[in-house]
Amino acid sequence: MKNRKEKKNRISAIPTDSFSDIAFLLIVYFMVATTLLKVKSIPADLPSGEKAAQAQSEKTPIVNLRGAEIFFNDKAVSMEDLTTRLAALELAQKESAQRVIMLESARGTPYENYFKALAAISSNGGVVAIVEAEEK
Amino acid sequence: MALKKKRRTVPVPVASMGDIAFLLIIFFLVCSEVSKEPDVDLISPRSAHVKKVESTVVARVAVDVNGRIYLDGVPVNAAKDVEWGVRALLTSTISDDQRHVQFKCDAKLPKETFEPVLQAIAEAGGIIEAVGDLDE
Repeated sequence: MKNRKEKKNRISAIPTDSFSDIAFLLIVYFMVATTLLKVKSIPADLPSGEKAAQAQSEKTPIVNLRGAEIFFNDKAVSMEDLTTRLAALELAQKESAQRVIMLESARGTPYENYFKALAAISSNGGVVAIVEAEEK
Repeated sequence: MALKKKRRTVPVPVASMGDIAFLLIIFFLVCSEVSKEPDVDLISPRSAHVKKVESTVVARVAVDVNGRIYLDGVPVNAAKDVEWGVRALLTSTISDDQRHVQFKCDAKLPKETFEPVLQAIAEAGGIIEAVGDLDE
C-alpha cells in the first residue's frame, strides 16, 4: 500500500539542462569535421559541332602537341614561349570568333601536357577548338 | 565617507541557449550540401594558371587512372553517356553560369582516353572546368 502511494507522487521530468551543451557540442563537431571544398581549375568553353568546324580556318593559330614537344603555328616552342606568344595576340580584347585557338594533339599525348596547353590558352583569353584527327 | 557600491549580480539568460543551438544545427543541416565529389583514384595535372573556382558546377566528370569514366560519381560506360547525362542536366539551366562542368582526369592518361570525354562535354553544351593543382 505504501509503495503504491510513493509511485504516484513521483514526477518524471526529462532532464533538459544539458541540451544546450549537447547542441553546442554538435555544432563544434560539425564545424571541425566540415571541409570547405574549393577546387582549383581552368575554364575552357570549347566550341562544339558546327561552331568548331567554322573555327578552323587557315588564319586561326594552332597549337600542336606531339608527345612532350609543343608547336605553335608549326614552330617548336617551350611552354613559357607559348604563353608569351599567346599573350602577344591580345586575345582577350578581340571578338569571340577571333579568339579561337586550335588545339591538335598526337596519339598518346598525356593529359598533363594537354592541360598545360589548355591552361595557357584559356588564361590568355583564348577559346579552344579541339582538332579531331581524321580516321583513315 | 565613501559609499560602498553594491555589486549587482546580473544573471545571464541561458534558458534559450539550447533552442538557439538546435536552431543553428537545423540551419546548417538544411543549408549544407553533401559533396558529390567522386572518390576516384587519379593524380591531377599541374599548371601555373589554375585558379580557385567561384562558379557552381552542374555536373562532375572524372576519368581515373585506369581510364574509367565517372559522371557525378557514378561509373559510365562511354563518353557518349557523359554527353547525354550532361545534356539532360543542362536542360533546366538558364544562364551561362549554370553550364560549368567539372572535369578531373589523371595526368598520365593518353589523348585517346580523355579527349572523347572533353568533346562529349563540349557537345552537350558544358563549359569545362578542368581541375588541376597549382604549379608553384
